[in-house]
Amino acid sequence: MTFPTLDDNASLFVQGYLTTLQLSLGAIALSLVLGTFVATVRVWGGPVLASIARGYVEFFRNTPLLVQLLFLAVLLAPANLNVTREPFLAALIGLGVYTGAYVSEVVRSGILSVDARQIEAARTLGLTQLDAIRYVVLPQAIRTVIPPLGNLAIALVKNTAIAGGIAVNELLKASGIIESRTFQFTPYYAMLVAYWTMTLPLAWLVGRLERRLAFTR
Amino acid sequence: MTAHVAASQLRRHAPGRGALVATGLIVTLIVLLFATGRLEARRWEPFLLPSTWLFLARGLLVTLVVAGVSLVASLVFGVVLGIARSALSGPGRWIVAALIEIVRATPILAILLVVYIAMLRTGITREAVVAGIVGLTIYNSAVIGEIVRAGIASIPRGESEAARSLGLTYGQMMRWIVLPQALARMTPALVSQLITLIKDTSLLFIIAAPELLSFGKSFFNFYGNLLETYFVIGCIFFAINYPLSRLARRLEAGREPAERLAVTGEEELVASVATAPATPALQRRSPVP
Repeated sequence: MTFPTLDDNASLFVQGYLTTLQLSLGAIALSLVLGTFVATVRVWGGPVLASIARGYVEFFRNTPLLVQLLFLAVLLAPANLNVTREPFLAALIGLGVYTGAYVSEVVRSGILSVDARQIEAARTLGLTQLDAIRYVVLPQAIRTVIPPLGNLAIALVKNTAIAGGIAVNELLKASGIIESRTFQFTPYYAMLVAYWTMTLPLAWLVGRLERRLAFTR
Repeated sequence: MTAHVAASQLRRHAPGRGALVATGLIVTLIVLLFATGRLEARRWEPFLLPSTWLFLARGLLVTLVVAGVSLVASLVFGVVLGIARSALSGPGRWIVAALIEIVRATPILAILLVVYIAMLRTGITREAVVAGIVGLTIYNSAVIGEIVRAGIASIPRGESEAARSLGLTYGQMMRWIVLPQALARMTPALVSQLITLIKDTSLLFIIAAPELLSFGKSFFNFYGNLLETYFVIGCIFFAINYPLSRLARRLEAGREPAERLAVTGEEELVASVATAPATPALQRRSPVP
């Protein structure tokens, strides 16, 4: 029997940190794509599609992320491809779909802020409806909602901690494992600091963007 | 004209089409699951028994009590923090601001875990529920503190100056002029935060406190119907939170745009949009070239 060395624990911690980063970046990308798509459907998709999109938004915003992740983990479990990557995949999809609901609300408010006559103008210039949305409305809409989207990114990074609940070895879970091995409180201090290295710079950046936007208004 | 107004009001009060379609989606999902053999009727049978619901109700009661106690405690601390951040100047203000920002930058699950382990180690309590309430209160006090600060900042400066020039003390001005208006503006944001709080109580499951999800777990340990139990628990949360989100939206809709603090859910968003009055970025019109 070998006792875990500092090395083991340190590399476990670093791995946890990297997993949290991967999960955050992947889920942010997924939620942005999904959220923009859903927002577009809610504005221009017609009554039926818009209602379906709204149902998705309401359901995922009003149920706990942990319950969604647990459900998804069980649902995906028999789709077994690779045992160690599987909870990660469930967490990635779960976080992306959950945050996508919030993203769609934000992007939708951005879309509604763009003057509808701009689409008419674009159509007159010969753009198709889809091109007008893609090249005229969305670029402006997304620019105005960058600060709130940044806040959602912060929330998402924090929510990755919940992925530990479905056995993803992210930062929180890794810290817990080290704590139970060493019986010291230090890993938790390190964990808090590690989270702050991700969230505080993001919060600073968002605050800066907000002030800059407020100034040019 | 009147007919038009009446019609639009009728539409606003009619049940949301979204809710209907959400139900449709859920039914479709269930049918799909049945078709792929992932769900069997017998796995749903326990949910037909009254005893099941009585059992889950006990978990739900804990969840609601935890949410209620945390809400009241965080409202008290949050209002104090929010006023402190607005009223103090110099180092005091910086300390309060730093505290709020650091707590808000920490995952709530990390706070819960650290509080729980710290309480175990120091022997304060072994009750996970107590640690859960303390953790939820710490986090939500910071968030509500930020909402309160934004609410106070949204009241035009002229009002507080007028109050002071009429001879009111700072305390009287806060009590009678600023806070009543600020609280009214904050209500939608506070209701959204309550939704987040209720969802976050499910995290007590991870520190093994006996709330709804934990009761669900002992339930599916007995019946072996994991997926179904998670689904039902999700629906219970939805049944509580959806009316609350409708309420938040209605409160929001009744206000002038200039009085709105925020529209969209999640607390981080609320606090950030709140710093700018009336989301002007979204109302900006770009000139057509």
